[in-house]
Amino acid sequence: MPVVPGGATAVSERPAEQALTPWVTIVWDDPVNLMSYVTHVFTTYFGYAEAKATDLMLQVHNNGKAVVSNGTREQMETDVDAMHGYGLWATLEKG
Amino acid sequence: MRDFKRSGPMILMRLTDYETTLLESLVEQFCGLLEADDEQVDHADSFARWQAELSGVDTLDHSDPVIYRLFPDAYADDAEASAEFRRLTQARQRTDRLSQAEVVMSALRDSEAGKHAVQVRVIELDAWLKTLTAVRLSLAVRLGIETTEDAEELDALGEDDPRSYIYRVYEWIAYLTESLLGLD
Repeated sequence: MPVVPGGATAVSERPAEQALTPWVTIVWDDPVNLMSYVTHVFTTYFGYAEAKATDLMLQVHNNGKAVVSNGTREQMETDVDAMHGYGLWATLEKG
Repeated sequence: MRDFKRSGPMILMRLTDYETTLLESLVEQFCGLLEADDEQVDHADSFARWQAELSGVDTLDHSDPVIYRLFPDAYADDAEASAEFRRLTQARQRTDRLSQAEVVMSALRDSEAGKHAVQVRVIELDAWLKTLTAVRLSLAVRLGIETTEDAEELDALGEDDPRSYIYRVYEWIAYLTESLLGLD
């Protein structure tokens, strides 16, 4: 009888999957920063195309926040640090 | 936007004598905030200051809401991680901000108080935008702008209200920012 892999193997994969779950950088809406400036920051720092940057800016503006990047915790700390340097209100969290 | 003109690697910005002095004083005040002393460190002694920064002694006044806005929590629900993040990033962030402010100050000085157009080098545009934004954020905190409605209320204030003047300065910096962004 061939050995059929049991469902148990799937269980052991889960923690690994969770470890890969990327962190995210969130930019929050504030009443001070100009829409054109926020778009500029997203194109300049992240290298996003104008359309994507504008879309993210509008998400921040209309929904109060937007996920602007994802990656490892260290990468997200770098992004949050950069956003703070631009004067944007940003945080990181587990995505 | 007749006061702003792109000229090769430069943006030429026409400011009056009064506007130049005003912007200089705002940027100076902002730098003063970043250089704020605490009792533990002798800031006249640059070595002591450097040592303090290396050992992670926080030399900024975090009870000042402007400082808090410029160095916000990186983690919404984790005060400890936010403190650690500040320890690792703040000294460099502050040095960067001061050197960006110096880019602005030096261009303003070169314009000789309205005699020449202020030369904004396009490669230094972000130093300008970051500094103007930081000045605006500081003014917004002082004006108590936390929501869009707060700003609208200030906009409707009569000229006799002292906040009305600061609000107009705040709006003027927004105008400078938008104009520079339109020419990058």
